Amino acid sequence: MPQAIDTAPPKGLDLRLDRLPDLTTGKAPSGLMAEISLAAQTFVRVPRQNAYAAIGLGIYALFILAALFADQLIQYQPLEILFSDTYQLKRSLPPSADHWLGTTQGGRDIYSQLVMGTRSALAVGLTAAVCVVAIGTLVGLVSGYFGGWVDNVLMRLSDIALGIPFLPFVIVLAAFLGAAQSNIVLGIALLLWPNSARVIRSQVMTLRERAFVEAARVTGAGQWRILFVHISPNILSLSFLYTSVAVGWAILTEAAVSFLGFGPSNTVSWGYMLQDAYASQALGRGQYNWFIPPGLCIVLVVMGGFFISRGYEEVLFPKLKG
Amino acid sequence: MLLSVRDLKIHYKTPLGPVKAVDGISFDVPQGKVVGIVGESGCGKTTAVRSLLRVMPPVAVFAGGEVIFDGTDILKLSERRMNDLRWRDIAYIPQSAMNALDPVWRVGDQIVEVLRKRGNMSKTEARARSEDLFAMVGLEKNRLRDYPHQFSGGMRQRVSIALALALNPRLVIADEPVTALDVIIQRQVLDTFATLQREFGLSVVLVTHDISVVAYVCDFVVVMYAGKVVEKGPVRDVLTAPSHAYTIGLYNAFPELSADDDRELSPIEGGPPRLLNPPEGCRFRARCPFAIEVCKLEPPEVQVGPGHTALCHRAHEAAMLRDQARDPAVWRGVVTS
Amino acid sequence: MRYVLSRLFYSILVLWIVGTILFFMFRLMPGSPLAAFIDQTSTLEQQQALIARFGLDKSLFQQYLAFLGNLLQGDLGQSFFHRRPVMDVVLEALPNTVILTLSGLIVAYVFGVLAGAYLAWRRGTLVEGIGIPIALATRAAPEFWLGMVLLAFFSFYLGWFPAGGANTVGMEYSSDWARIFTLDFLRHLTLPMLTLAIYLQGLPLLLMRSNMIEILQEEFVTMGKMKGLSSRTIVLNHAARNAMLPVVTAFALGVGSAIGGNVVVETVFSWPGIGRLLVNAVSASDYPLAQGAFLIITAVLIGMNFIADISYRLLDPRIRLAASN
Repeated sequence: MPQAIDTAPPKGLDLRLDRLPDLTTGKAPSGLMAEISLAAQTFVRVPRQNAYAAIGLGIYALFILAALFADQLIQYQPLEILFSDTYQLKRSLPPSADHWLGTTQGGRDIYSQLVMGTRSALAVGLTAAVCVVAIGTLVGLVSGYFGGWVDNVLMRLSDIALGIPFLPFVIVLAAFLGAAQSNIVLGIALLLWPNSARVIRSQVMTLRERAFVEAARVTGAGQWRILFVHISPNILSLSFLYTSVAVGWAILTEAAVSFLGFGPSNTVSWGYMLQDAYASQALGRGQYNWFIPPGLCIVLVVMGGFFISRGYEEVLFPKLKG
Repeated sequence: MLLSVRDLKIHYKTPLGPVKAVDGISFDVPQGKVVGIVGESGCGKTTAVRSLLRVMPPVAVFAGGEVIFDGTDILKLSERRMNDLRWRDIAYIPQSAMNALDPVWRVGDQIVEVLRKRGNMSKTEARARSEDLFAMVGLEKNRLRDYPHQFSGGMRQRVSIALALALNPRLVIADEPVTALDVIIQRQVLDTFATLQREFGLSVVLVTHDISVVAYVCDFVVVMYAGKVVEKGPVRDVLTAPSHAYTIGLYNAFPELSADDDRELSPIEGGPPRLLNPPEGCRFRARCPFAIEVCKLEPPEVQVGPGHTALCHRAHEAAMLRDQARDPAVWRGVVTS
Repeated sequence: MRYVLSRLFYSILVLWIVGTILFFMFRLMPGSPLAAFIDQTSTLEQQQALIARFGLDKSLFQQYLAFLGNLLQGDLGQSFFHRRPVMDVVLEALPNTVILTLSGLIVAYVFGVLAGAYLAWRRGTLVEGIGIPIALATRAAPEFWLGMVLLAFFSFYLGWFPAGGANTVGMEYSSDWARIFTLDFLRHLTLPMLTLAIYLQGLPLLLMRSNMIEILQEEFVTMGKMKGLSSRTIVLNHAARNAMLPVVTAFALGVGSAIGGNVVVETVFSWPGIGRLLVNAVSASDYPLAQGAFLIITAVLIGMNFIADISYRLLDPRIRLAASN
């Protein structure tokens, strides 16, 4: 039946067709700089429309600033053991004008530790997240695009990674290779990539069949070119979403590992603070000023990541509304 | 007259203001007759017929008019009284049964559910009746135990028919019941449906965008465009003497309706107007090859035959316009803003 | 059925591969020299016996075979610290972990499913606006910190619950079952279980909510209204049943990952489970015990992955029965 009277455009038209590459030269007419500027514009646009994204970014901004200006923000060194004027150890002092969050059982200023902890959290969080998502994205791209035995092998590898208990593995790694943050990052990177890999893989598999990829293939663009020049930009927003969530998981993991005593003892992290508090019987003494703030900071930063992911997802990948 | 729709208006609330999806439509459904509602996507037909059951998305609101079913204006009924009517008096056959049936329930259980919960039947009675219903639509009773995805498209639509007839309704609303099927199956399902309609004396409102379906099963036809009824009347009259430019255009777009085998296809160019701020005057003006100055004013409903009306300033000249419309050149380059 | 068998075979394969990885990890990593596999304080005969049993004087590959062979016989070696077979120590601790994990998960999932469905029903209202951030916050909080807060408040401050362990020290029981079915055990179980539940409920809540929202937009829900069915019938019998499918799968996966993640909760509450066993073993360089506990946790994880895999297939009739077009 000729659909002569139905002239509305079909739904689901790929709106990115306006960015079809110039098929004769195989180059996108805009080029890398335009790609970057488009990404930047999108990045800035979303928080204006969406509360989750705005709040999440705000939280991150706060903690990043705290990390950058930590030295200016604190009065004492986080690991410095402090004594009063009368040479008494400043043991477990309650919050005061001098020590906004009081002191630990070992005589250290809690507030300083808290502020310094932002550096450790963000360093581990961002590094680990970037590693995990980089591996996951790469695996997803290659696996989804090439299919066949490559896909098989990579998916079997991901099954194995998923079969290893996460926290125990990181603990053992830290115990055997040494209590350095780099080892924690290593453990996270080795086991957490499958989640992002799978999602990206299925997205790539859908994109593979799309018109603009066919067009590129027909004009003789090489496989790697198609993969990186045409398909990747569509995937990067997914990678971004995963990164903001992965930072949270990484921080939580580092905190857990430090709490269990397998973290570095010369760096102050929030996990370290909690371990110190627990071991020093802060719970029994009701020293809420000691163990509540580090936990709260973790909650805030991780939630910030969740909010950013949720916010950008709502705008970039909207689901049908009721 | 089993159903009388009078000046029905339905608006969609949007951030930009109300969209007048259905803007004052009127038609009647006599007892035991099949009324087809035909129009393109977005003309308001689905919104209109779903409103007859008062099941609409939260953004849709009634903005005026009456829907008189068996003497009562159902728009004024309380929700409870309206719910009594649902399925027992007025039933619905959806376009796509695959989406309309619960995928994790057996099909037989879904029929039994309606029979027990709305028909107050016991389990045994309901089971027996569901077997009868299946027999009626030409399905084997052992398939009652299957899940929706195990049926082919045509058989699934038969399930929908069986479900709709479960409580012996008097009015059945069929919303594009065969659109999703291929042509041969369409005929089969329509035949089954028509047989049952005659046997039980059902009144039917059949929504479709396919005029050949209308020609095949309907007694009356209502043509909708941009939220308005532009022509209505007995099927034979409307199809042999279409009196609104849109209907004439539709006619041209479906050559199998005409006797001329070598008539060229001439689609109607352009698209329907946005209903947020409908244009003044006749809504079809921008796409009409016969539009004149006066068409900027609201068109009257003109009687062009017994029970046959058209919403057009030039309805009296319909015969001449039909003649002119045979030339495909007339339809090209028509669209004005 | 064939699918089930092939997935089972595959799971066993993965288990074997991971076990192999563990073996090499424990043997080859720095900080665990081969000699450390034998407790230096045991007598020379004992050392000789152990060397023979584990083939430590042979090549790495032969050690691996010995390891596999012992594994299949259920022999995980001898714990340095406890001076008992690892298998015995692990099996003592396993029930505690299982009970803690299962009770925590069940509470979490029952709550999460109900709350998620409720939030979906109340879409676009203030309840949803507050509910989602709270659910996200519980997922953002470190499990052990939640435990610490609960411990500090309900145990140390209010004194309602004991501060740790699974049973009061010094009590004797006729059997393990008798030990578990006591009020004392329940009191000890409450706080750690609540901690787990609070942490874990976020996932089923958000999942159920998101599923319900999608499903409530589906045509068959509208059809339900047209049929005149009550909201309760539509939501519970139809929408929720559809929305539950992924949640059940998530539950199975949750058991697998919680067993490993329990490590921290068990530590905070001194709960004598496998997680705490592992941590202590690693700290004390008790390699056989650490390896054994790790292996058991892995086996549970892979087993639950397998169950999750087949449960989804069994529960969804669209997958269970091929379309007969």
